[in-house]
Amino acid sequence: MKLDPAFIGEAFVKLLSAIPTTLAITFVSVGCGLLLGIVTALARIYRVPVLREISSAYVTFIRGTPMLTHLLIVMFGLPIAIDALSDSLGLSFRSVQVPMIGFAYVAFSLTAGAYMSEVVRSGLLAVNRGQIEAAYAVGMTTWQALRRIVFPQAFAAALPNLSNSVIGMLHGSTLAFTASVVEINAKAQIVASTNWKFFESYIAAALIFWGLTVVIERLTALLEKRVARYDRGGVA
Amino acid sequence: MGASIDISYVFDYFVKLLPAIGITLEIVVLSLLIGSAVGMLVALPRLYRVPVLQRLSQVYVSFFRGTPLLIQLFLIYYGLPELLKMVHADVSRTPVLVFVITAYALHSGAFISEAIRAAVGAVDRGQVEAGYAIGMTGYQAFRRIVLPQAIAVAMPVFGNLVIANLKDTSLAFSLGIMELTGKAQTLPTLSQRFFESYLALALLYFLLSFVLQKLLYRLERRLLRHEAADGRVSRRAKGRRVKDKDAAGRLNLTEEGALP
Repeated sequence: MKLDPAFIGEAFVKLLSAIPTTLAITFVSVGCGLLLGIVTALARIYRVPVLREISSAYVTFIRGTPMLTHLLIVMFGLPIAIDALSDSLGLSFRSVQVPMIGFAYVAFSLTAGAYMSEVVRSGLLAVNRGQIEAAYAVGMTTWQALRRIVFPQAFAAALPNLSNSVIGMLHGSTLAFTASVVEINAKAQIVASTNWKFFESYIAAALIFWGLTVVIERLTALLEKRVARYDRGGVA
Repeated sequence: MGASIDISYVFDYFVKLLPAIGITLEIVVLSLLIGSAVGMLVALPRLYRVPVLQRLSQVYVSFFRGTPLLIQLFLIYYGLPELLKMVHADVSRTPVLVFVITAYALHSGAFISEAIRAAVGAVDRGQVEAGYAIGMTGYQAFRRIVLPQAIAVAMPVFGNLVIANLKDTSLAFSLGIMELTGKAQTLPTLSQRFFESYLALALLYFLLSFVLQKLLYRLERRLLRHEAADGRVSRRAKGRRVKDKDAAGRLNLTEEGALP
């Protein structure tokens, strides 16, 4: 068997249809993860009594275990919980009715949440304390100071880490094939299974992921220029 | 599937998973050893700005950092035999584990090369110049002066890579390797207690990464010994002091009164 360059192109076109699923998994998990990350990061920075310990335990556990185990645990644990809950409430809802991609969303959001928590925390801690003092000095309330002064600077500081996390989640979305979600990786397998040209099919998949990663990196670089404008020296 | 959760299965599976640690660690250790060598080779052209090779290693690093590990695993598993066939090497009898370790080595090689590049950049230029001044050759200065310091600087990043690599080995099951994850998927076929099995699996990974992290921290401290040799504070301690000083000037929301 020789390498078939024509099939790489053919597989590439077929794989394009799976990009929306991959991007959906990535952005849902990053979006929910960011919310979860902000909550857990704030709980740790503000030292909220019970919430702080829970957040720390959550972040430590998730960061210490592979993303795949999160998916497996959610995939096999959540149905047990859902069924038990609907039984006790007397509902006829069964866990089978939940689409498989739902479990992927939940699991990957939990994964992303822990990593985002660290991203948000380091971003917030990177803002100089004098900034918030100055905000108080001009009469801002705490919320105003956070929203207008701290968050924009924290975002600029956290952007490189944020971009790395997004790329990590993009790459992690390939695991969704274990939940029989047809994203790019699963699609590559399906495309190849008809003629056994796995190598060509995976080359096409790799090219798509490489392209997506480069796009995210470029967008981040552009955004970085924009949000870090305040941070340059000089007078003009 | 059992409707309820039986915690005794978690312990049972935890014990049954223990023998599979061997193969997981085998992948981690071998791939990191090969990966370090690859990373070193890939970093050198970029450090010394070798014309064409520099470009090549850039592409290599970009590719392996820009594609998911799972795709790389399949790519090497299906592609390497094809490529080797072109040079008339038959690898159809080679165990799958070899391909898996190759994939992990190439993957971590890309990340290690970036770590090395950053670390060498962090070594003071005057160190190399001093090396040349006392008559060392370029190789001697690199090996005796730059590398030991760079390794110490790169240690925290390398530690993170080791942990990441450990967690990434969970993907090897997709090629049928019976490491921890593969084992955890086959153990409950009779009992159908998958949830308990995966819980035990997560616990085991957590313990492994915890222990590894402690070991790496020790190693890191040992490598930074030379910083404290002449009675001064070690770089780590210095770094910490700087950080603490910084932290004092940084946002502390509790003290700001943002917290009631």
